[in-house]
Parts: sequence; structure tokens; C-alpha cells
Amino acid sequence: MMNTRPIPVPAQGSALHWQLSAPYTYKHILLLIVVATVLIVTGHRTEMDRMAAMTVQALGYTVGLVDDSQVVRGLSRVGQSMWPPAVAESEEIGRLQDFDRDRLPPFSRIEMQERVEQKMNLETLQLEATSETVEVLVQPFGYVWTVFVKMIETLEIALWGTILSVLLSVPLAYFAASNYSPNRFTYTVARGGISLLRSAPELIVALFLVLAYGFGPIAGVLALGLHAAGFLGKFYAEDIENADKKPQEALEAIGAGKLKTLWYAVLPQVLPQYIAYTAYILDRNLRMATVIGLVGAGGIGQELKGRFDMFQYGHVMTILIAIFVFVFVLDQLQARIRARLI
Amino acid sequence: MIRFEALQKVWPDGTCAISDVSLEIPQGQFCVILGPSGAGKSTLLRAVNGLMRPSAGRVLIDDVELNIATQRQLRQRVAMIHQHFNLTNRMSVASNVLSGLLPTVSTVRALSGWFRPEHRQKACHLLDRVGLSPEHLKRRAGDLSGGQQQRVGIARAFMLDPEVVLADEPVASLDPKISRDILTLIRDAARERNATVLCSLHQIDLAREFGDRIVGMRDGRVVFDGSPADFTDDRVQALYEGARWEDPPAADDAGTQPLPALAAS
Repeated sequence: MMNTRPIPVPAQGSALHWQLSAPYTYKHILLLIVVATVLIVTGHRTEMDRMAAMTVQALGYTVGLVDDSQVVRGLSRVGQSMWPPAVAESEEIGRLQDFDRDRLPPFSRIEMQERVEQKMNLETLQLEATSETVEVLVQPFGYVWTVFVKMIETLEIALWGTILSVLLSVPLAYFAASNYSPNRFTYTVARGGISLLRSAPELIVALFLVLAYGFGPIAGVLALGLHAAGFLGKFYAEDIENADKKPQEALEAIGAGKLKTLWYAVLPQVLPQYIAYTAYILDRNLRMATVIGLVGAGGIGQELKGRFDMFQYGHVMTILIAIFVFVFVLDQLQARIRARLI
Repeated sequence: MIRFEALQKVWPDGTCAISDVSLEIPQGQFCVILGPSGAGKSTLLRAVNGLMRPSAGRVLIDDVELNIATQRQLRQRVAMIHQHFNLTNRMSVASNVLSGLLPTVSTVRALSGWFRPEHRQKACHLLDRVGLSPEHLKRRAGDLSGGQQQRVGIARAFMLDPEVVLADEPVASLDPKISRDILTLIRDAARERNATVLCSLHQIDLAREFGDRIVGMRDGRVVFDGSPADFTDDRVQALYEGARWEDPPAADDAGTQPLPALAAS
């Protein structure tokens, strides 16, 4: 054998030209001071100290150590006006179109209710309370049903937002991957586009899209899809760039061409990651879709905003409970699916 | 026939990988390239299919010069077998073998994976030829053992019936028994098609056994070119000596023993 020569060991005590330096130097201490200063200054500017004091006060109030707490007062006031959650829905029959007395919706009944209205008396110029009796169609679970339908719409917005983002981001990723983009120009344009899409928050994009497409789910789907396309495009592209080069080289060596190489030597490698990203985006879109309606882009958020503005806090409570149940069920589902897939 | 004419490669950092290599390898020859690590063996192989662009000189395959214009056509006639197999690990064995056809199938067929029945049949024949069985077809390539992966690599390489097979240390990570099997497969499959094989190796015994001709390289130059019979132990020692170990400091290195002669195999 050739390599039987032992590795030479230097004699004891001989002077070395190199050494293993200490793990910390004055630079680390300096860095520590800088970080601490930044934290103290920014913490004070964002009132973190006041937050801590108020929270401690609230905790003290709940265990009976403190007499008053602004936080607890505010919360209890909101809580009282939100309870009980609205379940039934009642509408004046006079205002309903296509109302057929013989074919009532299921579980519903007709009630006589007294309505008190403030009316201006034209002679005295005073507001007077006048009461009138109206026929009202009461659906005992009507509002729960309305919320359920809105929730389904939210789900659909999230689903189509995700589909749109995948469709947009796949070509975007191809052009934004430095090793597959046809030239420098397409690469720069694709990377710029991704940054632009990622930098625009869904709510703000939705705000403008509502102006363009009107109220409703179109703006919601587009807003979610565009933002997520930027996110997915970036991560898809980076996975393409970081994929194992060896199989790609094998196909390049026989002249397979870029697209086929991508399909056969890159895609199988990155597919599990792509599925993981897309699942994350779906999860994120489901949660974002509940909020996006606040600016009028459809879904449960639109309902929430409407009820909030009309001070119908009981309805708001129902919606909040529905959102919680919805997200909880989705989390459970996702955990099950993940357990089955992996 | 492959012809290297005054081939030279200088990396951007100034190191010279190949300097002035001129060789002619006739059709059907099994030519083994030997030499210490960093001698330029891989670089030379990669010049044949254009994975490496030479700084000077040229490569001709059947008197057609390899350049940007001819590369796409020539690459289809040159197969490559890699040291690390270079399979797509998460893809099935069948798809890996069929990917050897990619330059010749339409994009629609390639992307849908709907290969012609005769092509699928050919993949099965080749897998059978390299000693794999039907149950391997659907297995993931990454789940196979090293030897089996290299068999898949060989099947993929022969899908296009190449005229030239470049084998870049095809058995460097395999045990001696499997190494012999793999080289036998490459040699026999090439002979059946009268394909030229350019194979870089580290095992001198295998080089003598399989090579029709041995080219010894060191520091980017061809220092030996002849038949296995001419490749004597002296030549071996001349080729490798001092390449991997720096010369020991003469005076204070008490533990150093004289370099044992290289065992002949």
C-alpha cells in the first residue's frame, strides 16, 4: 500500500505559528451594548413599559389586589354589549320581496312585533316616539345560517386565491430562477415583480381592487392570489436554484433542453417543498380571507364590518365565534391530513 | 472516433487543468484514463460533451468539431455515466431511464411522461440487460443501493444508443466486486454497439483488466499512452508518486519510513 506513512506529530513544546483564539472579543461586547440600546429606545417609543404596567394592573384587579383597571373595564364593556350572540334573524314582512305566506322557509314563524320609531312632529318640531305593530318573519337560526353561507364564501375565496397564486407563481418562478431564466432581463423583471407583489399587503391591495372590481369576492380572490404569488414565486425560484445539480448535469450532458431538465431533474426534487409551501399559503389565505372583507372584498369580513358599523355587537360575536370554530376545524383537518401524508 | 487537438483549459483563477492534450481514440476502443486526483481526467471527459468549454484547442467527434452550433446534435451521440450516478432520487427508476431519451422526444410527450410503447419497451430491455428486474421499475431511484443506482445510470446512458460513452469514475464509490460487474456491463454494452468508451478510473487493476488502452495523466498532461501490457509497475509509480503526499520534511521527521513500493496486482 502507498499511504502507510503516519501523519507527522510535532515535537512537544515546539512553537506554533497559529493558535485558536478566544470565542468572545471586545467586538461582541460592543454589539451587545448596541443591541441593548436599540431595544431600550424602541421599547420605550412603542410604550412597552406602559403595556407591562397596565397588564400587571389588570392581572392585579382580577385577583383583587388593585381597585381599578382600565384594561379590564374596557374589555368588560365590550363583552357585555356582545353577549348574547345573535342567533335568530327577523325581517319585516312588508320589506320582503317575493314573500309567500303559504310557503315559509323551514323553522320560521311569523310574529307580531311592536316597533318604536322616532319621528319628527312637523307641527311642534319635536321628536316623538311613535309605536307601530308590524308583522315580522322570524327565523330562529337565520343568522347562524347567514354566517355559515358567508363562511363558505370565505373558504371559496381562499381556495381560488391559492389556485390563482400557484398558477401565477409557477411561470414567475421559472423566470426568477437565475439558473433557468432565459436572460438577465427576464430574471430582473421576474425578481422585481416578485418583490412588488410581496411588498403589497393583501388589505391594501384589496382596498384598490374593490375600487376596480367593485365590492365582492373578485377583489378578495385577486388580492390574496397576487400577494401569495409573490411569496410562492420567491420560494419556488429559490428551491429551483438550490436543487441538487447532479441530475441536472446528467440531462444537460445529453442535451435535453432547459424545460425538460427542469421537469425531470428539478421538479421531482422540489415537489415536496412546493406542496408544503402551497399548504402554508392555503392556510394563510384561509385566515386572511376572513379579514379581507373588512375593506369590502367579500366573505365573512364584509359581514363583520357591516354589523360592527351598525353597532350590532351580538351579530359580531356570532361571527367571531364562527371564525374561531372555522379556523379550529381547519387546523384539526390539516393536522389529520399531514399525519396521513407524512 | 474522438480527436483532441492541443486541448487546453485554464480555470478563471489561473490554474491549468489541461495543457496541450492531443489524443486520438478510434471507434470502439475502451480507453481508460488514469491519474491522481486533480490530474484533469474529469475535465478531459467533460470536454467531449461540452460540459467544459476548452480555453484553447478543439475536440472532434467523427471529424465534427464540438462547438455551440454542433453541441446539441453531438450531445445526443455522447452518453455519460457519472461517479455519483446523478439520478433524480425522488423519481422512479423507469422515469430516470426514460429521461435518457429526452433530447429526442417532443416536449408534450416529455412533460406528460407519455412515452411511446417501443421506448418504454426499450427501457425495460435495458434494465433487464443491466441486471435489474420488473419490481425495480416503480421504485424510487434514491432507494436503491449504489450498485443498483449505477446500473440505472448505465441503462439511461444507453437509451439513445450512443457512439461515445463517457464514464467519469463510474465505480469510485462501489466495492471491488460490484465495480467489476459495472465495468463489465459498460464494456459489453459498448461493444454490442461498437461505441467508444472513455473511462476515468482510480483502480489500477481494473484499468489493466478492462482497458484496451491506458492514458495516464498528471497535472493536466498526458504522461503515459499505451496498452495495458506496457503499463508496468514502474510506470504506475511514476504516475502517482508524490502526488497525494507532500514530500516529508527531511530532518526532524523521525516517524517517516521509506515509501513502500506499490503493490502490483
